[in-house]
Amino acid sequence: MKRNTLTIVIGAVLVLIFALLLFVFQVRKSETAVVATFGKPTGQHYDQPGAYFKWPWPIQKVYKYDQRVQNFEDKFSQTLTADNNMLLTSVYVGWKISDASQFLQVFPGDSSVSLPNAQSKLEGMLRTAKSAVIGGHPLSDFVNADPQALKFDAIESEIEQSVQNELRTNNYGIELEFLGFKKIGLPESVTQTVFARMTSERQVLISLAENTGKSEAQKIQSAADADAAKTIANAQATATRLRAEGEAEAAKTLPIFEQNPDLAVFLLRIDAIRQSLNQRSTLFFDERIPPFDLFRNMPTNAPGQ
Amino acid sequence: MTMSDEHEHHHHEHEAPEALDAGSQALAEALRSSFAIVKIVMVLMVLAFFGSGFFQVGPSEKAVILRFGRPVGEGKSILLGPGLHWSFPYPIDEVVKIPITEIQKVTSTTGWYFTTPEQELSGEELPAGPSLNPAIDGYAITADRNIVHTRATLNYHIDDPISYIFNFASASNSIQNTLNSALLYTAAKFNVDDILTRDVAGFQDAVLARVSDLTDQEHLGIIIDNCQVQSVAPRQLQDVFARVTEAQQNQSKQINDANAYRDKTLLNASAQASAITTEAATASTNYVKAIQADAKAFTDLLPAFKMDRNLFAQQKLAETMTVVLTNVQDKFFLPQRADGQPRELRLQLNREPPEPKPAAANP
Repeated sequence: MKRNTLTIVIGAVLVLIFALLLFVFQVRKSETAVVATFGKPTGQHYDQPGAYFKWPWPIQKVYKYDQRVQNFEDKFSQTLTADNNMLLTSVYVGWKISDASQFLQVFPGDSSVSLPNAQSKLEGMLRTAKSAVIGGHPLSDFVNADPQALKFDAIESEIEQSVQNELRTNNYGIELEFLGFKKIGLPESVTQTVFARMTSERQVLISLAENTGKSEAQKIQSAADADAAKTIANAQATATRLRAEGEAEAAKTLPIFEQNPDLAVFLLRIDAIRQSLNQRSTLFFDERIPPFDLFRNMPTNAPGQ
Repeated sequence: MTMSDEHEHHHHEHEAPEALDAGSQALAEALRSSFAIVKIVMVLMVLAFFGSGFFQVGPSEKAVILRFGRPVGEGKSILLGPGLHWSFPYPIDEVVKIPITEIQKVTSTTGWYFTTPEQELSGEELPAGPSLNPAIDGYAITADRNIVHTRATLNYHIDDPISYIFNFASASNSIQNTLNSALLYTAAKFNVDDILTRDVAGFQDAVLARVSDLTDQEHLGIIIDNCQVQSVAPRQLQDVFARVTEAQQNQSKQINDANAYRDKTLLNASAQASAITTEAATASTNYVKAIQADAKAFTDLLPAFKMDRNLFAQQKLAETMTVVLTNVQDKFFLPQRADGQPRELRLQLNREPPEPKPAAANP
């Protein structure tokens, strides 16, 4: 009896597993599913993860789609801007299936078939939208140092909006999540022209740097010389003033000397002698000069006498 | 005997059904044992079913268990790290493995000229042609319509694994495209010299800011750790760009030299000026002091002078001559000629300083 219970339990588990495999399908977090009864979509959405009931094949068939954002990049293609510049652009988009049953109707078949079909549809729309939007903007909207004039963002969202509208109008069950420029370029011959222009701009910068360096340096040096001369001139003026002040101060002693101008003059002369006959001078004198007048009439050994 | 016969008979009679029983018994035995095998197989199947729930996560990957499609766990705890794990087998649970590490890295792909990793490593690049081939060479157009090559490496980590894994077929691909787009956008706002020399850090910050904005807008569920941007002038123009740099360096050197000259000149001038004023002040003070000393001396001498003017004069003159004769280097006394006429004296003045002192001749 006990053995039978175990057998039954094991059997039941196996049957359950088999039944699960047959009647239940899972929708993963990243997926969305459509169930078709004899090939016709039931119209029910399975976009939340979980386990759902279905009749076994061939009654019902489950189509599962990746609900995640898919990446797609279009080809690097040429477009004329509004001011007739040829621009090469490639955009990347993030797109996803927003309505799986609608998607199944527009792009029938398994994901391996329907996804490439959807992407080539998308590529066509991108091409049209790109040439329309880029053709409406001059090159200065694409590259500009002035943030107000730069329309890079606006161009991207115009293209995105245009494709989004077309997807909605045609009810493809797809929507765009984001769009941006992946690559922007110029035709090969134009790059050469740009290089030539860049080279001449560089030459201008080189001569500008050379000339500015020289003239700036000269300016600084002559300003410094002028400043230095001015400082010294000021100092000399100050020195003159100080000396004049000294003279004025000295002049206050004049009344003292005026008491006896003879003595004053005598003292000055004495002082002059003392000052002038300082070291490294040579003195010639004869007996007429006091105090050597004492030598007068003294016998000498001069041969003439 | 009958009994025994009977018994014998009975025994014999019993012999046939016993043989028959043995056959069915063998069958039953066989059935039983095969049923046992079936049971063992069933147990093994159940064990295998549950045993198949073990799975291993490698060192550079993470796993997520989906129970009936829903991730098990909340936030970052849904990610299972390296090691052995168990889940219910399909169709209850499903294991999704994701090749991600702690720090993710993407590199931009569309802003750099054509080069192979081998050439990058060896540093030997093919000589550049006169133009850029749009099919293979990448670049960005700057605000002043110049061409630069620029590339970026972005390091990030996953903040919201559910969004990163379950909302994007290839989140890293989306991030890479976003990085490409951010480089183009930022280059379109900057002038070539800012990108290459004047504001390299500003350009890098702007790229980072743009990538952050875009990844937030796209809800990629990542946090950017850093972004390194490298930009170079087109190889075709590298010489002329280098010459600009050189000329600009010369320019700043010239200006620096001029500034150094200015500093030195002004310092000298100020030192000289202060010497001039100090000297004047000292001279003036000394002059005043000297005059005052003279005045004092005058006052002191006046009584003696008044008393006997001649004596005073003689005395002072003698005093002075003593000092003068002591100080004077060469002294020549010219005695009077016998005829009372003045002597003629010729001096040869030699300008050369040290050697022959101004000497006398001709007595």
